Amino acid sequence: MKFKSMIAGIAVVYAAPAAMAQDTIKIGLTGALTGPVAGTYAPAVEGLRLYLDGVNAAGGIGGRSVELILQDDGAEPSRAAANSKRFLTQDGVVVMINASLSSTYAPAIAEAKRAGVPLIFSASACPPEVFPPADPNLFCTTGFGPKYDSQAALAFIEATDGTDVQIGFQAMAIPVSRGEIDYAETLAGEMGMTPVAKEITPPPAPDYSPFASNIENAGAEWVWSWAPWVAQVKTFEALRRLGWEGDYVLYSHLEAEGELERIKDAGLYAIGANAMFSEGLPVMEEIASATEAAGSSYEANQMTEGWIAGMVIEAALSAAEDPGDAASVRDALSSVSVDTEGLRGGPLEWTEDNHFRTVQSYRVYRWNTDSGQIETVRDWTSYDVQ
Amino acid sequence: MQLVVNILVLASIYALIACGYVLIYRVSRVLNLAHGELMMLGAYLLVATASGLSNSPVAALLLALALSLVVGGMVYLFLMRRMTGEMVLAAVLTTVALGILLRGLILLIWSASPRHPRDMLGWENPVFTLPGDARISLYAGLLIVSTVVVYGALFLFLRFGRWGMRMRAAGQNPLLAAQRGIRLHAVFALAWGLSTFTGATAGMLIALDSGLDSTMVMIGLKAFPAALVGGLDSLAGALIGALIIAAAEVGVIRFIDPLLADVVPFLVLIVMLVVRPWGLFGTREELDRV
Repeated sequence: MKFKSMIAGIAVVYAAPAAMAQDTIKIGLTGALTGPVAGTYAPAVEGLRLYLDGVNAAGGIGGRSVELILQDDGAEPSRAAANSKRFLTQDGVVVMINASLSSTYAPAIAEAKRAGVPLIFSASACPPEVFPPADPNLFCTTGFGPKYDSQAALAFIEATDGTDVQIGFQAMAIPVSRGEIDYAETLAGEMGMTPVAKEITPPPAPDYSPFASNIENAGAEWVWSWAPWVAQVKTFEALRRLGWEGDYVLYSHLEAEGELERIKDAGLYAIGANAMFSEGLPVMEEIASATEAAGSSYEANQMTEGWIAGMVIEAALSAAEDPGDAASVRDALSSVSVDTEGLRGGPLEWTEDNHFRTVQSYRVYRWNTDSGQIETVRDWTSYDVQ
Repeated sequence: MQLVVNILVLASIYALIACGYVLIYRVSRVLNLAHGELMMLGAYLLVATASGLSNSPVAALLLALALSLVVGGMVYLFLMRRMTGEMVLAAVLTTVALGILLRGLILLIWSASPRHPRDMLGWENPVFTLPGDARISLYAGLLIVSTVVVYGALFLFLRFGRWGMRMRAAGQNPLLAAQRGIRLHAVFALAWGLSTFTGATAGMLIALDSGLDSTMVMIGLKAFPAALVGGLDSLAGALIGALIIAAAEVGVIRFIDPLLADVVPFLVLIVMLVVRPWGLFGTREELDRV
């Protein structure tokens, strides 16, 4: 009898964690949470964490809680690879998320593919594999989209000032940024604009004036900048210090709203896929409340990317036949359709063939010096993703 | 003319940072690889004092500068002092660990969001037009002025100051200096304090001119070639090295290809290491000893 009790006790001790594990759906995120580029990713990761906290507080997915396992890779490929291995071999995650520099993609993609676990890119640049025809295992919720961003930016310049303009370009010396600006330079030429300067700045430059001087000397009337926020905005401010009076279009990264308010320059346009919090939408108030309740060190308006990723994950887990099975979640992701509640210009939809989104929409904002607030210069303009 | 201004501003940034490397190396033969992080910490100290003393901006700036001096001394007293008598490599690796620790702490305390201490202090950054239609912002101009003042003060201090002479003596022959009654730990702590102070001055002025974010740490590393090109144990060398590196970098950006801006300082460094490994004004014997 005593022996039987002991066996039963041991069985309970070992079975309890297994049962608890069954009640948890695990998601692993490798991201640049520290290091020089953390400012681009950490707030988005915080947004995702707050969203999933809300999902758990509301009862989880079918009664199972969602556990977000965060691992810092400091934007280093070796650490991203180690994190991915850990997620897949130790933690048993059903979805992996990458929120880091593009140099970390290759190891994360390889590990996810080997294990058959879907990999979502969130706040990090969408890799070519998520565009049609998409890799079945890779997905991307990030707002900015290579080529479409430049098409939208140049279309905005054309709509504002025509094509008889001298245009300069600014990128950072990282492959994804340079590739986009090379594409933009070619596209501008095809549209009839005159490219006069292309400045590729190192990450980072102690002083952006030498690069800005080149743009000014070339006589650029407009500049299109597609790079991490620091490079975009510091080049602009260096241009202004040099007395340049042209117009500057940059991608509206998560820092954009606070920075437009700080700089207060009507010639600085932010084009992007995410709506700004000056809209005051109900979902934005929800994010702001969650941010305040959590005592987050980041502004609510920097969390949109992470919040949208959370919406997508919740939708996919809810739609999956078995949210605890990676293959089932991947199938659900391949047909997900999420109402972004105004955070984007439309729903985020994925198909078997398209894991970027079927329609990409852009809005342009700037600071209105008369009203003293951010204004929408151009409302949502949509592009079908082919 | 704008080209000259751009060179002078960049050279000032490199020179202010590089003299921190030199001060510690010439006294203790330790390469401080956490200098970029200490520079960034100095800038964040300004953010901290600015948020607490926004009504007294000058006091906030002076307090941040004083704190950076103290932090440098503390780093020596509580960490590097324990490396005394150990291999130089162990001390260098300790600075690497210190850098990683500081980066994490800064992120935990101030987050990764960009900061703008100038706005917090309520200061403007007017732009001045110079002869030749060149333009320079107030804080970029202050970078140049600060470099002149810091180097001038350091030359006078090391040449005529009592503690400056002690620093030189400790650098040339620590054993003899100790036997003559010089308190080596106090001298080393002062060197760390001054080094952090000069780096933090650069960090604060850069932050006041164009903002502060976690990428600043990489700027510290970019100034390292300036110190090596000039000679790691020579302050005059650091100044000339900074001018050479800055002129090469700005020249390449202007006349060849901006993409090479990151490469040029290290290209100049490689050339110098091949031609004159101890640097322009460095001491050959010291290099042999290393």
